[in-house]
Amino acid sequence: MQELLTLRPEQLDALREVANIGAGHAATALSQMTGQTIMISVPTINITPLEDVPPHIGDPGEPVAAVLMQMQGDLSGRTLLVFPQGTAIRLAEIMMKRPHPGGVDLSELEQSAIKEAGNILSGAYMNALSDFMGLKLLPSPPSLAMDMSQAVLTTAYLQFGSDRDLVFCVETEFVMQDAGEKLRGFFLLLPDVSSLRAILRAMRLD
Amino acid sequence: MSAGLPTHVPVAGFAVLRDGGVLSSVGLGSCVAIMLHDPEAKVGAMAHVLLPHESLSLDRTKPAKFASTATPFLVDEMRRYGAGSRIVARIVGGASMFGPLLGSGVNMGERNIVAVREGLERAGIPLLAEDVGGDYGRSVFFDVATGAVRVVSMRHGEHAL
Repeated sequence: MQELLTLRPEQLDALREVANIGAGHAATALSQMTGQTIMISVPTINITPLEDVPPHIGDPGEPVAAVLMQMQGDLSGRTLLVFPQGTAIRLAEIMMKRPHPGGVDLSELEQSAIKEAGNILSGAYMNALSDFMGLKLLPSPPSLAMDMSQAVLTTAYLQFGSDRDLVFCVETEFVMQDAGEKLRGFFLLLPDVSSLRAILRAMRLD
Repeated sequence: MSAGLPTHVPVAGFAVLRDGGVLSSVGLGSCVAIMLHDPEAKVGAMAHVLLPHESLSLDRTKPAKFASTATPFLVDEMRRYGAGSRIVARIVGGASMFGPLLGSGVNMGERNIVAVREGLERAGIPLLAEDVGGDYGRSVFFDVATGAVRVVSMRHGEHAL
């Protein structure tokens, strides 16, 4: 675990590049799915104790829709796609070409749409990683949680695989310009530590 | 409930208040909020526990972060505010989210709940009430003057513990 703190700058650059390739393909998939222009940020890498991860969403109580998928195969870990509730509703409307029935909650159908969005985005991300590094990656079916942002994120960081509290996460922000309104989402890649080594090995930077 | 903004207790953090005021933790997922109260001295404390045991962490400098260390630490802090031996406990949180993907994985919420209960038992502090488990996040507000606890969730709205 300690080794996370001693990653060299060129190793971090390589990981950012991997994330950038993945996110680029995911953005293209999202763009095709919605017919909108999608912009992505330069990936940021967080290596911090869980309680110090900078908040993606200002208010820890803000409702979000989050799609979690497990990554299996030559690499193990998780991907998490997070949308503020309002963005999730708008995205579902765009995907299904029908207006939100009203209220603050997502309907069954809208939930399926968001899950599918997560599925397509993570699938594209993992495929790109897989091609680029020559590793086999198998995504699990998506799991959707709609809850307070802090509850969702803390659980995703902590719940799976690792017992430890040091978070390694590569994050990309998606921005979609929708009728002058900015819709934001976050894509998080959370590889297990052993997989981090495998990624660096595949890039000959171990 | 007392007037004024609640004192926010972040992940791995803690706070102690005397006489009045509200302690809160927002967005508890697998985390557990331990709330200790001495009704006579009107001293209340909250810890936002992240992990069951300090052996799971590289950083052992935050006793409120671990179920194994949080309770004795809070009791010591409360004593400094004049709390006596009549301390009682309430706990909230420990959810298991993303249920279908959990499979045989580590259920940190459940482990946190078990470890927090054990910590309270070791310290001889009675557990008055709890709202734990499930698959949804919670926020909690603890009134130090009365010991009243409110739990808020997106799924089930608001209720008194």
